[in-house]
Amino acid sequence: MERWGVSKLAIVLHGLAGAAILVALYMALVFAPTEATMGHVQRIFYWHVATAWVGFFAFFITLVASIAYLRTGRRRWDIVALSSVEIGLAFAVIMTVTGSLWAKPVWNTWWTWEPRLTTVAIMLLIYATYLLLRRVIEDPGRRARFAAVYGIAGFVSVPITFMAIRWWRTIHPVIFKSEGFDLTPAMLAALIVSVLAYSLLYISLLLLRTQLEFLSDEVAELRESLDE
Amino acid sequence: MTYLVAAYAVMWLITFIFVLSMAMRQRRLAAELEALKERLQETKRYGE
Repeated sequence: MERWGVSKLAIVLHGLAGAAILVALYMALVFAPTEATMGHVQRIFYWHVATAWVGFFAFFITLVASIAYLRTGRRRWDIVALSSVEIGLAFAVIMTVTGSLWAKPVWNTWWTWEPRLTTVAIMLLIYATYLLLRRVIEDPGRRARFAAVYGIAGFVSVPITFMAIRWWRTIHPVIFKSEGFDLTPAMLAALIVSVLAYSLLYISLLLLRTQLEFLSDEVAELRESLDE
Repeated sequence: MTYLVAAYAVMWLITFIFVLSMAMRQRRLAAELEALKERLQETKRYGE
């Protein structure tokens, strides 16, 4: 299989992700009932939660890949860690913007410094800094080692963000409780499909992004060999 | 309804920009790789 280019696996994954997204759109916009108090704006919730879940999961993959890089020193793990941060950050930004668009009609404000939103802002800054710091370190080996350590340490912000609404007094809704889900069966089905669809999209994007980085490495190697 | 439409629009816009930026970078790198391979071939020919 080629390192980049359109592989069969990639085509199947992209097709599956596209189909799942369409089904999830139907589930969120048509299948799920309209919430009694909030009305149609509650439908933002399905994609807000799905992007939050995938964002957190992407940062977890960065943690795993960073540990694997420090253990093996293989460039492929550094590539997975970097790619997952980029995708996770994109999803986390979508989560934040959709959350803000939900908050305006429901809380009557775009943003408030309550525990969940504050920890989300810190988490976004931590992972944006990860990408910035990678750009300023020129030596590839040092950059990968530093990024791996940062990727492990930075992950501390993820469980804190997730638990913020459980540990501290907050106005953010808690959907997943120890007693179960605070949703009707149809709403829960729409949420599960949305999470699965975005998870497939994440895998699909991760494949594309890692292939891109392998291609970038190949270009750099060839350029170096020509300059010698 | 306006907020719902805005949320979905923003979501798709960010996803589209992310995918587009990757596609553009891939195209640029593929072109650069081809150019470098051609240069390598020329260098080999010149060396012979």
